[in-house]
Amino acid sequence: MQATKPTVGIFGLTGCAGDQLVILNCEDELLSLVDVVDIRDFLMAASGGDEFSTLDIAFVEGAVMTRRDEEKLQRIRRRAKALVAIGTCALQGGVPAMADGLDWPSAVRDVYGPEGDGFDALPARALHECVEVDFSLPGCPIEKHEFLGAVADLLNGNPPQLPTYAVCTECKMRECDCLLVDQGRFCHGPLTRAGCRARCPSYAVPCVGCRGPVPDPNLGSAMDVYTSKGWSPEEVVQRLRTFGPLPTPVPAGEAA
Amino acid sequence: MGHHHPGSVSPLRTLTAAVRHHRDRNVGPVKTVKLPRRKLDFFASVLQRFGELHAPVARNGHFVFQRVRRWSEARLEYTRTELPPKKYFLPPRETLFRFTPGKGYVPESEDLDRRIVLLGVHACDIYSLNILDLVFNGKYPDPYYQTRRRNIALIGVDCIPDQRCFCRSMRADTVEQGFDLFFYDIGDYYLTLVGTALGDDMVLAAGELFESVTPDDVAEYKRRSQERHQRFQLDVEIRDLPEIFEMEYGSEIWEELGAKCLSCGSCSMVCPTCYCYDVADETQLGSTAGRRVRTWDSCLFATHAAVAGGENFRHSRASRVKFRFYHKQRGFVAEYGRPSCVGCGRCSAVCPVGIDIIEVINRLRGVEYAETEHAATR
Ligand code: SF4
Ligand code: SF4
Ligand code: SF4
Ligand code: SF4
Ligand code: SF4
Repeated sequence: MQATKPTVGIFGLTGCAGDQLVILNCEDELLSLVDVVDIRDFLMAASGGDEFSTLDIAFVEGAVMTRRDEEKLQRIRRRAKALVAIGTCALQGGVPAMADGLDWPSAVRDVYGPEGDGFDALPARALHECVEVDFSLPGCPIEKHEFLGAVADLLNGNPPQLPTYAVCTECKMRECDCLLVDQGRFCHGPLTRAGCRARCPSYAVPCVGCRGPVPDPNLGSAMDVYTSKGWSPEEVVQRLRTFGPLPTPVPAGEAA
Repeated sequence: MGHHHPGSVSPLRTLTAAVRHHRDRNVGPVKTVKLPRRKLDFFASVLQRFGELHAPVARNGHFVFQRVRRWSEARLEYTRTELPPKKYFLPPRETLFRFTPGKGYVPESEDLDRRIVLLGVHACDIYSLNILDLVFNGKYPDPYYQTRRRNIALIGVDCIPDQRCFCRSMRADTVEQGFDLFFYDIGDYYLTLVGTALGDDMVLAAGELFESVTPDDVAEYKRRSQERHQRFQLDVEIRDLPEIFEMEYGSEIWEELGAKCLSCGSCSMVCPTCYCYDVADETQLGSTAGRRVRTWDSCLFATHAAVAGGENFRHSRASRVKFRFYHKQRGFVAEYGRPSCVGCGRCSAVCPVGIDIIEVINRLRGVEYAETEHAATR
């Protein structure tokens, strides 16, 4: 083993801590993990992290929703050689970003009453909207095997390898019944990035798109599919926005 | 065999003969026997001696090939399985080898030696394996595929075409080889074609179960074969199709399909003759040891033609959809003498935007798209 192990920090901004929980739940692998890296900061696992040292890798969960979040993220960015966004909130705002487009001050007042005015609450932003992000691990929450694979790759100086194709591909590999084509249910599979091994359709539950969109979603055609099956365009947009803003529509034929 | 297609091509025969040769001595002229239908479960128990028995079983109204532990689970009167038997020979995801720095490579062979008997494979799916043999036993032999091909026995069963089958058009509605046994339903019996010495051993192992064929059995086989022939609802002409594809390279149909396609990959995954795969190394935590894994890939993915340096040969979706059709109906014909499509109908069945191979071919040919009624009356 090297004399000095790479240093790692694991942080949470505004989120449900689900991604950090996935890391904690890597029970069998957690020991091998602490064997090869020096975990300096992981509030969920131990209090009293060291706040100033340089980090080789910082994993950050959650969306930026307060000034404090923003400052914390900037501090992490300054310490970290590589910053990895983990989970859909960090990647694209996540469920809190559903509020996008609302009149923010009045939304806050609607929820909290007049006291809301003094709250430090901002519309949800993804990490990359505030600082430079080096790598991302999608999922709500992230997948344990992707997290461990990413650590292994990063320690070897490689970018994490993640599928960019759609959930449908993994769904077919597992021979699940197609909830969209055969049952006419609203499945986000064709627009959603794979990696979860089609967990939901494998239990006959439609994908709700928790891993965020594929890099080249064909929104126009997907809209035609969903509306032809009876959903109104408004409803389609609402559903597609469950985990963040709609991906910028890429005109067919120009997607990378 | 009842109907022989003059269109079937010889490279297939040569190469599949090569595969067959390591399995056995050739049995010479095809031997035909018959098995009483009510003895099928008994025969299934005999087959267990030759390997794990796998057959189509029903799952929520669909069919999948999987291991059967009780014969009553098997459904030989199925339409098509979700995934073709390809999954046994080229699994969706497999470890090729493990590597350790300083020690080298250790091939992963754990699963390769598993002996399996696949019972209930339709002609088109057997044909598709003969096509995959062209690829994996050809210029770049694939030992993983070849080993599995040796260890997995195939027992075919005949079928009734449904509204999506067009194997007859693709000359894959019957197979002359590539099976150890092939069952034809003739009522109280299965007329059984013995394709290999292994198949012959299976028949012999069954002792008195099999009986000799009578002229009446042959007459009944012919009657049913004719009837099946007339049940096809789809028909598409593939003669001169490569030339038409050549001429229609700039057709507006490709842009149209590109605008519809979601690049979801479903069509490639379920296709019995799609063989593209991706290879990647997965390292272990804290070391450079790891394993090399291969996973099914698809030319519909934006990454399929992406190369180092950020170039992509098929950047647009339209060019990718086009590539899929060209590879099957033109490129493969140029290289191997026949299209790499067997007309199983799976791709059209799964496509969420309804891209239908028959419709595409007919439009390119300038033929009105209609579920050719005349096909049923011919
Ligand atoms: S069930 Fe959903 S994820 Fe699976 S193939 Fe159908 S649309 Fe795709
Ligand atoms: S199937 Fe969809 S909703 Fe379910 S875990 Fe995967 S990406 Fe998330
Ligand atoms: S292209 Fe479609 S019809 Fe042809 S073999 Fe593949 S899945 Fe079957
Ligand atoms: S190139 Fe496309 S059509 Fe051809 S085998 Fe590969 S995935 Fe299938
Ligand atoms: S199944 Fe249809 S939408 Fe999906 S990749 Fe194939 S052609 Fe495109």
